[in-house]
Amino acid sequence: MRVTCATAAIGALLLGAASPAAAHHAFGGEFDANRPILLRGPIVKVEWVNPHTWIHIEVKKADGTTEVWMIEGGSPNSLLRRGVTRESLQIGTELVVDGYQARDYTLKRANGRNVTYPDGRKLFLGSSGTGAPSDGADPAAGRGAPR
Amino acid sequence: MRRRLLTVTGVVGLSIAVLAVAAARVSGQGGKPSSPPRMPDGHPDLQGTYDLATLTPLERPAGATAVLTADEAARLEAGVAARNEAGARPISGSRAAPPKGGDGSAGAAGNVGGYNNFWLDGGTSYTIVNGERRTSLVVDPPDGRVPAFTPAAQKRVAALQARPTSDATQSNDPGLETAPGAYDDPERRPLGERCLLGFGSTSGPPALPNYFYNNLHKIVQTPTAVMILNEMVHDARIVRMNAQHLPPTVRKWMGDSVGRWDGDTLVVDTTNFTEQTRFRGASRDLRVVERFTRVGPRTLLYRFTIEDAATWTRPWTGEFAWPATDELLYEYACHEANYALENVLRGARRREADAAASK
Amino acid sequence: MWSGVRGAVTVVVAAAVGVVIATVVMPVSGQAPAYRAARGADGRPDLNGIWQALNEANFDIQTHMARPAMALRTGPYGPLPAAPVLALGAVGAVPPGLGVVEGDEIPYRPEALATKQKNQENWLTSDPEIKCYLPGVPRATYLPHPFQVLQSASAIVMVYQYAGAVRDIYLKDPGPAPVDSWMGQSVGRWEGDTLVVDVTGFNDRTWFDRAGNFHSEALHVVERYTRTGPDVIAYEATIEDPKTFTRPWTMRMPLYRRQEANAQLMDFKCVEFVEELMYGQWRKTPVRD
Repeated sequence: MRVTCATAAIGALLLGAASPAAAHHAFGGEFDANRPILLRGPIVKVEWVNPHTWIHIEVKKADGTTEVWMIEGGSPNSLLRRGVTRESLQIGTELVVDGYQARDYTLKRANGRNVTYPDGRKLFLGSSGTGAPSDGADPAAGRGAPR
Repeated sequence: MRRRLLTVTGVVGLSIAVLAVAAARVSGQGGKPSSPPRMPDGHPDLQGTYDLATLTPLERPAGATAVLTADEAARLEAGVAARNEAGARPISGSRAAPPKGGDGSAGAAGNVGGYNNFWLDGGTSYTIVNGERRTSLVVDPPDGRVPAFTPAAQKRVAALQARPTSDATQSNDPGLETAPGAYDDPERRPLGERCLLGFGSTSGPPALPNYFYNNLHKIVQTPTAVMILNEMVHDARIVRMNAQHLPPTVRKWMGDSVGRWDGDTLVVDTTNFTEQTRFRGASRDLRVVERFTRVGPRTLLYRFTIEDAATWTRPWTGEFAWPATDELLYEYACHEANYALENVLRGARRREADAAASK
Repeated sequence: MWSGVRGAVTVVVAAAVGVVIATVVMPVSGQAPAYRAARGADGRPDLNGIWQALNEANFDIQTHMARPAMALRTGPYGPLPAAPVLALGAVGAVPPGLGVVEGDEIPYRPEALATKQKNQENWLTSDPEIKCYLPGVPRATYLPHPFQVLQSASAIVMVYQYAGAVRDIYLKDPGPAPVDSWMGQSVGRWEGDTLVVDVTGFNDRTWFDRAGNFHSEALHVVERYTRTGPDVIAYEATIEDPKTFTRPWTMRMPLYRRQEANAQLMDFKCVEFVEELMYGQWRKTPVRD
């Protein structure tokens, strides 16, 4: 589908205008662009709260000991409406997270800039993962619309 | 024997009553096909759960027409869909950490990349009012833009932003807010970050789309009160029907809403805002008049007029469609795990401590 | 319009006939008449209104004598208010209460009872009410704040003045709650003239009162709301939590209608009030005395 120049221009203006200057808050005040992280490890806890889900993963350090990092995600409610449940993110599921550490670097917290399974698939998108329905199944199927 | 008579008679009496109620409801719904379903008190039934998410911004971008053609809208909406689809694609599981110095992401993503697109649910289409695909919620002024601030308002807003502070930290970090003292105290942070009210005037009034997520609102209607439950931040605004406003000494975060019927339109008048609510810089004298009209079996038309002579040079009005959804609202526990506010404050203190230590 | 009026008249007449028959016949059989509340738009007893409990359950759901304070320390002749609450004096004392628990006993498992006692000792740092966290169910019902029921033919929502907590009472069961929550997932149904609300999907973060009574995430609450007079609801909440208690147990109390002509919920957004408590240490310039 070709997009004409005029449509594209309007689109750029509209889509830019639709992004609020201030969301819930700006991530830039919370996380430090000079402290990038790449973390890998199993989930040990999930806090399904708003507007940020917090996923706790256990990360192995170079010396073999482990530490727990808290990863900031987004609001869970839209995902719940798509059929996501606590089963979708089970304890023990291995995750790969890239992002930036909290500006208070004494805290082991980071934003989940990208949160994926080890094979690079993004979370919650209905395809198979530990505990999720089998490939291709719509996780929302069967929950029905209660009203 | 007497008890048996009582039971049978009671059941018969109750059955007559139940059947009569059912008959009354059915007969009330007859008539013109365009007449909305009505409550027992005769007023239109506005109830339902509505998803306010839309691509239409509050203000019309300069140079845009007021209305999109079906083709234009389809192309733009397809663009959004393509972006969402791209955001869902897998990436490398053996990827490296993102670049030191930031990934260049703008706006709320704060140069640190925010989080994945799959968390978002910002809307997929432009709002349609009277068959028109609108490029702004604002319809008056006719240019689709919020009117200018009054000089007094300009001064007031500037004073809020320039509060004197000893924080002399200068930073080239594009992720940081530039207002002096922006991170000094929790009270300096946006209401949404403090979990006091949803950002983007999501509960309002006026109730606006926030272009991110959780745009669901549920209306429950009774003869004496209409409740608008906003998912974010679990705020229930209760409109007292045919009532008087609270005295001016009583202020509320979402103002004090009183309602009345104007034909088949519910008119809600809200005043008594607090000093802190400050919708787009408004003063406590803000007055919002909302009009809710059912325009289809699964659509309300929501129209709002903003009046605040201390802030804008003239009143302004916007409108958009509220489409019904069968989805459920879920709990929005925000303050109960507000690590983000803690992280923001602690981050600023760490920055200051490091700056002091390096002197 | 006219058919609607005729229908309405039919309703009134039928209801009146029903009431007359019921009241004429029932006393003769020796039973006191059950209160018959006016019907709402859903044909059910109308629970719309502003209600409030009038008891001391939020201090302690069991029978208790007055206590010097909610946080105590050992004194030379008995417990004294702990230092952080000493300045409140009598305002910080716990009023006496006849409990709301049937049988006045909370059947804790032994290890859970130890946790309750630890909760009570650590009340100041552990009671979620202090941080203005969502209160859970049934504590939300008997906090010293009114709540409002909005009930129509298609929905029931309960709005609590405390922290603006809300409960959307689903009228169709959507299945198990997808994730745990503070206020739980409420599913409502009618049993005769009683609204029965089945609440599941709790997390383990709320308490039942300021005395440290608590639960696990296995909590299951069944509430019953029955209008027993023009301005009273008989309220019951049955608690089931096999991880914490050895059997189900029940709380019972009247809820009273707030009858002031202008009765309405006001703002109690206590989140703002606890910012100094929770984040004061992170101010650029912490507040000093």
